[in-house]
Amino acid sequence: MSAQFRAAVNADCTEASNSFGAGAAAQMECLITDLGRMVQQRNEALREVTRAHHEALLRLARAAEFRDDDTGVHLLRIGFLAEALALLAGQTPEFAERLRWAAPMHDIGKIGVPDEVLKKPGAYSPEERKIMNGHAMMGAQILGGSRSPLFQMAAEVALNHHERWDGSGYPLGLVGEAIPLSGRLVAVVDFFDALTMNRCYRPAFPDSQALAMMAAQRGLAFDPWLVDLALAHAEDLIALRDHINRSPPEFGPMITQI
Amino acid sequence: MSKTVLIVDDHADIRRLIRMTLEIEAYEIHEAANASSALRMARELRPDFVLMDVMMPGEFDGLEACRRMRADPALVRVQVILLSAMGQAADRAAGLQAGALSYIAKPFSPLKLIATLAAAGAAVQS
Repeated sequence: MSAQFRAAVNADCTEASNSFGAGAAAQMECLITDLGRMVQQRNEALREVTRAHHEALLRLARAAEFRDDDTGVHLLRIGFLAEALALLAGQTPEFAERLRWAAPMHDIGKIGVPDEVLKKPGAYSPEERKIMNGHAMMGAQILGGSRSPLFQMAAEVALNHHERWDGSGYPLGLVGEAIPLSGRLVAVVDFFDALTMNRCYRPAFPDSQALAMMAAQRGLAFDPWLVDLALAHAEDLIALRDHINRSPPEFGPMITQI
Repeated sequence: MSKTVLIVDDHADIRRLIRMTLEIEAYEIHEAANASSALRMARELRPDFVLMDVMMPGEFDGLEACRRMRADPALVRVQVILLSAMGQAADRAAGLQAGALSYIAKPFSPLKLIATLAAAGAAVQS
């Protein structure tokens, strides 16, 4: 701060304090009390809006999942596991938390896949496979073009969560680090979580077997660095998953009860 | 269209604080420093509200200015709200008797003042 500027500020402050009488000082206290009350109300309102926003996202994600998965907890787990892996990968808490809410929407595009394909037992014909794979692009279309950083990330995840490290994924066939990190992170945790839950067509794989299957995809489906991180911290991630299952956070219970 | 408010107080700093409070809600604001110029400006500007201090030096005080405004048929649509450091029930009664829509003791909550004006404005419109 320059001396000149400081002098100007001092002069201004002196003038202000001289011109405020007792009545004005008392009025100022009222102003400040109201200001504090308003800040508090604003913070509460912001928290409420954020909660409602996140809840709406999860319910949207659940709408897509509703036809082939009877529980919303998988979605919550994907979010929290992706957040944890992002933190392990050295991402900022802001990025990681955003991914927590963006990741559950990765399969939202399935809402555009007809029942006869989505629910078909057995193997897909090439045509059906093409329709099924369209869910990544449809998800990006549903979520894309938003001003909200959260939706932008969600669109990125929806588009890229079936890309493979070796370039044989879809929809674009991106290779390695050309696949956005958000997509690579969600691909890993979705794979693990899907294997370790009961499905109508098979029981859950044991954790050890799921981890081995993940390790086998190191550098093929998945970013080898992220697989190494997940394997090195497998115990923590599994503990987190079990914790979520025991006590689904916030509105998790509400969602599963509906 | 923004509502017009005439702020009347002999203390410039109080006028400034009230102005700052009302600018939150985009009122068009005018100021007077005594009761007689308040009366003159009210006739000239026909504001939606006059926010007026009671005790002011001059020919007559805020209470009398309020009475004269109420007695002037040209000012029937002008709402007077009195602000005063005198907060006793008797002071309030005198203010309301003089024809004020509302009597607010100083110091006052800015949020309450904003709410009072908003409610009065809504009542006029309906």
